[in-house]
Amino acid sequence: MSLILSIAVDGIAYGMILFMISVGLSITMGLMRIINLAHGAFALLGGAVVHLLTTRMEVAFIPALLVAVFAVVLIAVLLERVLFRQIYGFTELGQVLATIGIVFIMIASINFFLGSTILPIGVPAMFTTSVDLGFRTLPFHRLVVIVSGLLVLGGLWLLMERTRFGIYLRAAVDNRAAAASLGINTPYVYLVAFAIGAGLAAVGGVLGAELLPIEAYYPLRYMVLFLIVVSVGGLGSISGSFFASIGLGILDTAGRYLLPGIGTIFFFVAIAVLLALRPNGLMGKAQ
Amino acid sequence: MRITHYTVCLIASAAFSMASTVAQAETVKVGVIATFSGPNAIWGKQFREAIDVYVAQHGDQAGGHKIEFIYKDVGGPNADASKAAAQELLVREGVKYLAGFDFTPNAVAVAPLTKQAKVPAIIFNAATSSINKQSDFFLRTSFTLTQLAQPAAEWAAKNGAKKVVTAVSDYNPGIDAETAFSATFEQNGGDVLKKIRMPLQTTDFAPFVQRIKNSGADTVFTFLPVGPATFAFTKAYNENGLKGAGISFLGGGETDETTLDALGDQAIGLVTAYHYSDAHNSELNKSFVAKLQELHPGSRANMASVGAYDGVELIYRMVEAAGSDGAKAVEAAKGMEWESPRGPVKMDPVSRTVVQNVYLRRVEKGADGKLFNQEFATVPNVPDLGFNP
Amino acid sequence: MTMPVLSPPKPSRVHAVLGVLMPSVCVLIGAILAFLMFPYDLSFLTRIVIMMILVVSFDLILGQAGIATLGHAAMYGCGAYMAGLLALNVTQDPLLGLLAAALAGGLVAWLSGLVLLRTHGVALLMISIAVTMVLQEVASQARWLTGGADGLAGITIGPLLGLFEFDFIGQVAFIYSVCVLAVILVFCQILIRSPFGLALRGIDGSASRMRAIGTPVYRRKVTVYVIAGAIAGIAGALAAQVTGLVGIEVFNFSLSADVMVMLILGGAGRLYGALIGTLLFMVVHHVAASIDPFNWLFVIGLMLLLVVFVLPKGLVSLPGRVTRLWRRA
Repeated sequence: MSLILSIAVDGIAYGMILFMISVGLSITMGLMRIINLAHGAFALLGGAVVHLLTTRMEVAFIPALLVAVFAVVLIAVLLERVLFRQIYGFTELGQVLATIGIVFIMIASINFFLGSTILPIGVPAMFTTSVDLGFRTLPFHRLVVIVSGLLVLGGLWLLMERTRFGIYLRAAVDNRAAAASLGINTPYVYLVAFAIGAGLAAVGGVLGAELLPIEAYYPLRYMVLFLIVVSVGGLGSISGSFFASIGLGILDTAGRYLLPGIGTIFFFVAIAVLLALRPNGLMGKAQ
Repeated sequence: MRITHYTVCLIASAAFSMASTVAQAETVKVGVIATFSGPNAIWGKQFREAIDVYVAQHGDQAGGHKIEFIYKDVGGPNADASKAAAQELLVREGVKYLAGFDFTPNAVAVAPLTKQAKVPAIIFNAATSSINKQSDFFLRTSFTLTQLAQPAAEWAAKNGAKKVVTAVSDYNPGIDAETAFSATFEQNGGDVLKKIRMPLQTTDFAPFVQRIKNSGADTVFTFLPVGPATFAFTKAYNENGLKGAGISFLGGGETDETTLDALGDQAIGLVTAYHYSDAHNSELNKSFVAKLQELHPGSRANMASVGAYDGVELIYRMVEAAGSDGAKAVEAAKGMEWESPRGPVKMDPVSRTVVQNVYLRRVEKGADGKLFNQEFATVPNVPDLGFNP
Repeated sequence: MTMPVLSPPKPSRVHAVLGVLMPSVCVLIGAILAFLMFPYDLSFLTRIVIMMILVVSFDLILGQAGIATLGHAAMYGCGAYMAGLLALNVTQDPLLGLLAAALAGGLVAWLSGLVLLRTHGVALLMISIAVTMVLQEVASQARWLTGGADGLAGITIGPLLGLFEFDFIGQVAFIYSVCVLAVILVFCQILIRSPFGLALRGIDGSASRMRAIGTPVYRRKVTVYVIAGAIAGIAGALAAQVTGLVGIEVFNFSLSADVMVMLILGGAGRLYGALIGTLLFMVVHHVAASIDPFNWLFVIGLMLLLVVFVLPKGLVSLPGRVTRLWRRA
């Protein structure tokens, strides 16, 4: 019993991090229909900014996180205006080339300024304590991750269901051309969605740094993982991303508990089978 | 296929350069093959900086010859690139010594070339015992996993460990460490409860740490590749309360100087068995570390640095003894003894891996707020115990 | 993706033969020049040639049939291991090694293609990645067979055709690889110009229309995937034979990604594009990495962005772009 609970708790914590980083990617890939390989770079940038602020300038964690998210959103807006706006119009292959080029440049820049070793993040002392759950202890920061993940989910739900912007966004995801013809300012919707996605990636990157340590090659190292979450969840679906993240987190964790040795094989075979049966993911619409 | 003309040209030019060996002063080129880019770029960086330090301290002359280093990047474990780089170095640059080799496949791939060209290859890191079997021209100034894991097991057995869980990354070096440790530990009357192998790409270690915790062991022995994996594993060890549950940590490279500061204060108290700490108390090590700080501020010496530093020491001695005659140089190197920043070392004539002390160390915080590995016990003169010719 | 461009009807015979032979002739001339100009860089040139074979095979599926995968390393790696194991256990004949590797690559492509090619888009990309990851993990676990992370070592290859020993400088290896590339290019040109090749381009243009005119789309896709897999296997075998060692890195995701980047860089859908893209990518990488081993990635990133913004159809469209600008001026 405690084994099952352990799998659930560890899997959910892992899944929440995947969710926070990937949901922005899912929205942008579903909305703009672009193959965006550069998404992990925003998580890296967020982590790098917090690293700089907390370890080299002794800023506290929370303000540093806020600054990092703000900085990443700013960079994302700039990039959207200058580069991505053009990239939307490319063929899929052109998008692959352009976004991977952006990833390379970001990696090279971080590598140049901060080196290729792990960039630790100075978290509050409280994060490194453990909480007793009765059947086992849980690191406090995982609790933070789980709560933040739920907050992000709730916030996105409110945004999508309760605001005018959410209506525009859903309309644009469903049918771009029709949305535009109804007078929705789609370039603006794209810009905001892109910025939100990048900001969430930064939050996820920073909070998830204990599990997926920040280093220059972060966007390439975890690119496949994020893409798997998005494709299993279904492009453009927030709830799909959520269930996929949690499901994959639990699947991967269960593999580690129960099938060490062949856990990795089990994980990838499961994904291949799932996508073969449901090519549009759990919640995706037919492409 | 008329390639004879070219072969003749190349042989002629090779003969010409051979002829020049007779001349007194010569430039002996050393080709350094390592990873300078990509996620593992730290290896090449450490190698290069240590070489800089050695040259700054000892000059660029050995036995009347000028020593010149040429660096080649292979971008990680990549046998194809490593062999091509070695070929280019040997054929175009005319190097007389090869060096570097952070990953096992990169070293093994050049084995046939070293035999054909009779060029010694000094391994600064790659730690699989069997590499040296592939060519008589391999000389290793780093360590092998058995060399570390076996003393670690003996020490643990003598110092109160009864029940151990081994947790290693599921790839060859991890399994070498697991095998060596468990065999020795059991011979010494200990009990290995579980042998956990963790996927190489994993960075979420909570499930494994939880299993270690539930196993009822008193010690966990671990080996992981330095980088995100060691970082995440030591974090998981602390945060899941293994320390609190009285399970002691016994590792190897987990507290490597290049990632130690990233681990933060929670690393304090971690025990590892290893061959080098940048806090090793000797004059030579202090001057080595100080010179490194002077030339490359912000860098810290680690096992890769000392492997390269000693490798260059060995090359200088070999050049002194035999110039650019590879076969003679290897013979001269066998049995060589010298003082290294890690302590006394000797080139084992059989395994061609250095015989060295293995130290038990504990992470402590220095007066300057930096973490370091404090050596507190020594297992002297350990050869490569895993070598079977 | 690209519009289906059908060949002009019935060109003259001489024309057709020339067209088929042209890429191989270009490669041979280039190879001879390179051999004479860079006699000390043969090992690097050999790596370029092997990569060209791999990228050309990828062009068959991505460029011709429009099937985008990120798992081409799967077939390359299986070919490499097959050639290595054959040389260690059965025969050291290099050509038999290529044959066995082609069979291994084709077999893996057939088995995985049966599942893969029922999907498209992102799902196809992800399943192809998953297949490669599974193979890498298997290679890493089966230490008794593959040597695991240490690599499959000690591969020695007998003389080519029983006559030419693989030499120290790498001359035989280079000539051998170039010849294999030339033969494969002729084969690909014939394939592309055959009705089968036209069907592939039709599928790329519109699979549903092809289905409507009676083409068995799925079967055609599987067939081309198997052919491309066999050629990728040959590339892997060449790498194994030339290096004498196979590491689990042959299944790296980054290899599949690089192959795709090289093809798009040169221009998908044209064999010349595959050749030029590979050449440019590898040479820029090599030169940048030897000038600054730490920061060359920056140069590659800039190059990719530049090409995609200036020449969206790849480098191969450069002459057309230039002549158009010329005429306008």
